[in-house]
Amino acid sequence: MGTAITGIVILIIIALIISSMVKSKRNGKSIQCGNDCKHCGGHCNH
Amino acid sequence: MSIRIALAGNPNSGKTTLFNALTGSNQFVGNWPGVTVEKKEGRLKNHKDVVIMDLPGIYSLSPYTLEEVVTRNYLMNERPDAILNIVDGTNIERNLYLSTQLMELGIPVIMAINMMDAVEKNGDRIHLDKLSKKLGCEVVPISALKGTGIIQAAEKAIKLAEEKKATPAVHSFSPQVDSVLNRIEVKIGSQIPDEQKRFFAIKLLERDEKIEAQMKQVPDISAEIELIEAEMEDDTESIITNDRYLYISSIIKECYTKKSRGKLSNSDRIDQVITNRWLALPIFMAIMFIVYYVSVTSVGTIATDWANDGVFGDGWHLFGIEAIWIPGIPVLIENVLNAIGCAAWLQGLILDGMVAGVGAVLGFVPQMLILFAFLAFLEACGYMARVAFIMDRIFRKFGLSGKSFIPMLIGSGCGVPGIMASRTIENDRDRKMTIMTTTFIPCGAKLPIIALIAGAIFHGAWWVAPSAYFVGISAIICSGIILKKTKMFAGDTAPFVMELPSYHMPTLRNILASMWERGLSFIKKAGTIILLSTIFVWFTENFGFTNGSIGMVEDMNDSILAVIGSMLAFLFAPLGWGDWKSAVAAITGLIAKENVVGTFGILFGFGEVTENGSQIWGSLAGNMTAAAAYSFLVFNLLCAPCFAAMGAIKREMNNVKWFWIAIGYQTGLAYVVSLCIYQIVTLITTGNFGIGALVAFVLVAGLCYLIFRPYKQNQ
Repeated sequence: MGTAITGIVILIIIALIISSMVKSKRNGKSIQCGNDCKHCGGHCNH
Repeated sequence: MSIRIALAGNPNSGKTTLFNALTGSNQFVGNWPGVTVEKKEGRLKNHKDVVIMDLPGIYSLSPYTLEEVVTRNYLMNERPDAILNIVDGTNIERNLYLSTQLMELGIPVIMAINMMDAVEKNGDRIHLDKLSKKLGCEVVPISALKGTGIIQAAEKAIKLAEEKKATPAVHSFSPQVDSVLNRIEVKIGSQIPDEQKRFFAIKLLERDEKIEAQMKQVPDISAEIELIEAEMEDDTESIITNDRYLYISSIIKECYTKKSRGKLSNSDRIDQVITNRWLALPIFMAIMFIVYYVSVTSVGTIATDWANDGVFGDGWHLFGIEAIWIPGIPVLIENVLNAIGCAAWLQGLILDGMVAGVGAVLGFVPQMLILFAFLAFLEACGYMARVAFIMDRIFRKFGLSGKSFIPMLIGSGCGVPGIMASRTIENDRDRKMTIMTTTFIPCGAKLPIIALIAGAIFHGAWWVAPSAYFVGISAIICSGIILKKTKMFAGDTAPFVMELPSYHMPTLRNILASMWERGLSFIKKAGTIILLSTIFVWFTENFGFTNGSIGMVEDMNDSILAVIGSMLAFLFAPLGWGDWKSAVAAITGLIAKENVVGTFGILFGFGEVTENGSQIWGSLAGNMTAAAAYSFLVFNLLCAPCFAAMGAIKREMNNVKWFWIAIGYQTGLAYVVSLCIYQIVTLITTGNFGIGALVAFVLVAGLCYLIFRPYKQNQ
């Protein structure tokens, strides 16, 4: 039971990370540069 | 229908500071040109229908660089409802040059004289009413930094936009120029609206090809150009420029009273030492040494030891009080997992994979925060702008301009904006060369690698962290020399003009905010891309092919990761780290450089800390010699950057061939330098002369030849 719950939590975390990265990508942000847009001289959505 | 107000002005006049204050945004503000290379949009606070546009700084509407084109194209093609012209009150004469051009665009203009607090502090006076009358537009005093007068300026801009009344260009040229312009305006005809005819006429007279390209029919004005050039014995662009400055001088005489004309300011006095021909470089080196020594080696190490051994280790005594023991994150998670009866393999994924990988990276956050605080202080007080000036003297000798140092300054935080800042360089060859070399400066993400090697292998030796910075600078200088001597990059060095901002003491709040912003983005990254990478590394490290089927393996050396790593490891054997773990770490660094440390964290069992909490460091030290570790560090500093930075290189090069040239050059140089370091240091320390050492000497000779061979100008 503990394994199943932990596994589900991990899967949810992974899904949330991936969806946030996809969302960032769609919003024109880079998913790898840390989305440090404040310090970035330009935008990624070319 | 929303109202669009564009912020336009010279570089470093305070546009982004004003933009942040008006919109509540948090865009990066720097005191050197090129911080803003793309237009940015935000909504005015409490006015959802008002859009504020922050444009890259420009000195004139005759663009030379890519970001200047962005501004002119926006103003000409998108035509905002009003322009809020930001003028640096401490440099009013030069700033007014652009103002006279903005008023020719046929767009309502309001002028905001920024830095009025500094003007008043200097004891100078700007007679705003007279200035307003002379320029034919409303003038408001503001201090974007302190937030004074900015709301009034924005409200006046909105009112002006609503009135839709273009600001008439009241300034005049000499009678001869005026008469020629009138004739050109007639020739332009009805293809251009009346309020824009003057601007087009001037640009046509200046032979501006980009303006000609925007016209349906370009009138033949060769007779007018010939006439005015013969009459005034100069080219038309210079004639117009001279006329503008004559007009501006006449305004300044009447509207500006300078208290301390000719006297040296405090900044000038400091600069006599800081930018002194002989002292500048040693001072810069000493400052950067202190920055890296304190942030990575001394204070930073104490903080990181606490983070690694306490927060991500067994635990720590709160404030050193023996009685209060706070367990570390892995211990807490392990207790919870044991309590709920989680399977061992899943515990392994969480503790040895996710916690170990992300923990290894986050353990270096304290060192990064200290480094970011130092860099924020140096940027905000005005020193970093001087560094570009100091480096210009050195770079110029080697074929690079000081302009190339600005992207490198920005790149010390993150390579992506650093690469993008290369847009400020007008010369295409210099721009390409800068893009190729910018990521040699250690970015924030490389700091954990530096800190790990300095701590694990060199036991916190004082010279390791600062040397990483100077390896980056040396690689840039040597690359500049080598590349400039090739046919592809030969040519005159571009001139470098930059204003040096006055020194001032930055506020603690600003430094902490800048430090936190950068640190937070690093932490966010650890929670996304790094976490996913650690899961991937853990799976490939624990699963492998046994007896014809895939399953968990007992021995890490049978894993998928070991198989892949072993296939590539031979490439790095001449560099001293030909084991599959180091090879894999270097390759995962391409996803994000922090991954190098995260991967080591998993592969060397960071989760399984020993009693003294230094398992990862001890294991790593046993896996590498000092020469191999330094070679590994240099390779990771100089080789191809992370995918995000590679993407930026591809976009900025806008050419696949050039992209591969850049990546190939970076990786090739990293390989050669690392090989030479490992082989020569090994020869010195062990006395064994082998084929590797021979190759290293040949490569050193080759590098020396490329650096010292005579320079041939590109035909």
